[in-house]
Amino acid sequence: MIGLLQHVVDALALGSLYALTALGIGLIFGVMRLINFAHGDFIMIGAFSLVVPSSAATSTLLIGAWPAPLMVGGVCFVVIALALATERLAFRPVRRADPSVLLITSFALSFFLQHAVLAVHGGRAKSANIWPHLMEPILIGGVRVPQLQLITIVVTLVLLVVLVVFLRRTPMGIAMRAASEDFLTARLLGIRANRVIATAFAISGLLAAVVSLLYVAQTSVLSFHMGVPLVLFAFVATVVGGMGSLTGAVVGGFVVGIGSVFFQVVLPAGWRSNRDVWVYALVLLILLLRPSGLVKSKSIEEKV
Amino acid sequence: MSGSRLRSLLEAYSTPVLLSSILSLVVVVVWMNASGVLAQTVTDALIRVVLVVGLYIFVGNSGVLAFGHIAFTMIGAYATAWLTLSTFKKSFALQLPAILAEHQYPVFPSAIAASSLAAVVALIVGIPIMRLSGISAAIATLAVLGMFHTFYNNWGPWTMGAATLPGVPLYVDMWVALGWVVFAIFVAFIYQRSRYGLALRATREDEFGARAAGISIPRQRLIAFVISAFFMGLGGVLQAHFLGSIAVKNFWLSLTFISLAMLIIGGQRSLTGAVVGASVISAITEVLRLVENGIEVGGTTISLPPGSQELGIALVMLLVLIFRPSGITGGRELRLRLSRRARGA
Amino acid sequence: MERPDAGLSARGIVVRFDGLTAIDRVSISLQAGGILGLIGPNGAGKSTLVNALTGFQRPTEGSVHLDRTEITGWPPDRIARRGLARTFQAGRLFRGLSVLENLAAAAVGSGLSRREAEARALELLGWMDFAEHAELDAGSLPYGDQRRVGIGRALAVGPTYLLLDEPAAGMSDAECDDLVALIDRIPREFGCGVLLIEHNMRVIMNVCPRIHVIESGRTLAQGSPAEIRSNDAVVHAYLGTKTERGRAER
Repeated sequence: MIGLLQHVVDALALGSLYALTALGIGLIFGVMRLINFAHGDFIMIGAFSLVVPSSAATSTLLIGAWPAPLMVGGVCFVVIALALATERLAFRPVRRADPSVLLITSFALSFFLQHAVLAVHGGRAKSANIWPHLMEPILIGGVRVPQLQLITIVVTLVLLVVLVVFLRRTPMGIAMRAASEDFLTARLLGIRANRVIATAFAISGLLAAVVSLLYVAQTSVLSFHMGVPLVLFAFVATVVGGMGSLTGAVVGGFVVGIGSVFFQVVLPAGWRSNRDVWVYALVLLILLLRPSGLVKSKSIEEKV
Repeated sequence: MSGSRLRSLLEAYSTPVLLSSILSLVVVVVWMNASGVLAQTVTDALIRVVLVVGLYIFVGNSGVLAFGHIAFTMIGAYATAWLTLSTFKKSFALQLPAILAEHQYPVFPSAIAASSLAAVVALIVGIPIMRLSGISAAIATLAVLGMFHTFYNNWGPWTMGAATLPGVPLYVDMWVALGWVVFAIFVAFIYQRSRYGLALRATREDEFGARAAGISIPRQRLIAFVISAFFMGLGGVLQAHFLGSIAVKNFWLSLTFISLAMLIIGGQRSLTGAVVGASVISAITEVLRLVENGIEVGGTTISLPPGSQELGIALVMLLVLIFRPSGITGGRELRLRLSRRARGA
Repeated sequence: MERPDAGLSARGIVVRFDGLTAIDRVSISLQAGGILGLIGPNGAGKSTLVNALTGFQRPTEGSVHLDRTEITGWPPDRIARRGLARTFQAGRLFRGLSVLENLAAAAVGSGLSRREAEARALELLGWMDFAEHAELDAGSLPYGDQRRVGIGRALAVGPTYLLLDEPAAGMSDAECDDLVALIDRIPREFGCGVLLIEHNMRVIMNVCPRIHVIESGRTLAQGSPAEIRSNDAVVHAYLGTKTERGRAER
């Protein structure tokens, strides 16, 4: 029983990270039909902003040494600025191109960002120890639960609520939803595309920054390809959840996160290294049974 | 054969003939003039052409992006190693069943068998996946790559897991690579002109229109997927016998990305685009690598800081995408017109 | 249940979307060699009915038979290969392929070899007087020509029944007259039955010996052009204003 609760918390915490990442990808997909592979590198750069840029083997904290509120603000600032800059410089010029061109543009951007960090910081993984006290467990009803896991879940829930309020109550949020639900009509109605898209990128950057902090607090490791597995699973999650649906992105994120922990727990020890085989198989199965994802979005279907 | 018959045949096949001739010319020039290092670079680029042409057969004709094709490359590379490693090396590094462990098979039939294995795997996974549409199919192929990647990474007895498997016989040089490239280009072209290729290109242009015209989309996509996987597997075979060693980590996202990028930058809707994309990106990579190592211009050595090769290539890609979103060739084929009116009339 | 007659026969077709009934118990039958006009105001459910007949929309109730074979619920490509071809209101040409390839792709879809398909496509283009445009990209053609290529592509399937979904939409009067002449020749020269869905009365009244009128998803009237013109319900629902009526009778 105690073990089960621990697994549930693990699953929800991992699911939270995937859900936040998937949401960042899903928002951008909604407003411009771009699957942004570089989202993982937003997370990666957010993490590297914690330390002083240098190719030395040991790292020195930079933003990571600031008091917590400043640290959070600083990382958010860096990643949001990066997201807005990529939108302006890389994605806006190709906005009207085919979705495959948009996707490859994000691939190229991802490659660029990773190698830029590689050139500055070197290829070796670095450590960045932020908030070590959060790794200490607290007792809830006799069960020891790491604080960080709980914080991850709570922060995710708070962000989801804020995002829902934003999307439903503010004019910009409503414009964004309109664009997601009916891409062409929204364009025709003259919703100010530039502002809507830039706002979506800013929010996506904010979500990436939060994931950077939570992820680094958890692992303390920085590497130039650390964003790749996150974005890969989040990408899969958006499709499993239902491409074009923000609810779907969150659901998909939790499904993939919970699935990963589930297989980690139930597979016999010798098979655990193959855990991801089962996660991918689950994804494949969901896609085959529900080709348009768990949460169906009207905007993707085409009419005869 | 009469002159006009020959001429119309040459005209119909001018695209693969021209593409093969140009690549052959490059190989001959390099063979006559240059160092072994450049020959190695050209061989590497030719192997890339095989991969990108393989990718084109499916992606270009169907318009469906595929993220999982590198799984077939990995399957081909390991399969040829199981067949062609010396029995001593097999017993040392792997635990294979007797039929593989106790024999060393000749390279040519092994190449065909290994590529065919990739095609068979594509047939099995393709039957359910090709029923999916667009983005779902793309993600499903990515899931397949993820499964194979993870599995091979942990399949010690057959793959040495995450370690590099050494000792694959070296026989792929510039000429062998050229031969296979020409083969790939001709097969891709013959497929594209065939009833199957035409039907698939119709589905790319309009799925509803194609279905109303009696075309079964899953069936046509499956045919292309299997042929495409054969050449992806062949690319893996060639790479294994060129480098002499293979590692699971090399068949993952960066190879997926670079081959897709080569195709899209060349122009995904034409065979010429596939060949041009692979050649141009390979050439630019090589130039940047040379500059990074330092070149002499008028007595002074200019060199770029390390890492600028990758940054440069990413920048070139972004610029091509921004200024020419339909790729360098814009989806056109290189063609020879011997008479003013080629067809019809 | 009695055996349906030869021909294309749809019985009691019902199509519902999320509780909304788009087609309500419509029955239709068409013989090889005949032309049936299907008219109705915008939103009457004409295109939904065509989609239900050709497999693009699964009917909620009812059955479709093609020469006594039940085809209800078949996928569209299988229905097409069986001999029921259609055009689309939106054209849906293979825009990046040449005109010749558009027709050849449909011929290939019906099961011909590449060589036979090209021969059939060239023959059809000659028949349509369009051979000189064979090498142009379909997407680069003017609107009226795209409509004709759409009809050519449907014919290239080698159909026994052909459904034309508003082929005259957006055409000038002169183009309409050419189109009428073309459609009129199809049953005679290809022996296939034509279901012509149109908004343009000029086209419908000139080609169709029999007309089926639907409104709000229901059958309103059936009969000859003269009967339809004098049917009060039709006049009320569809030819409501004097100007339209005048144009229809011209």
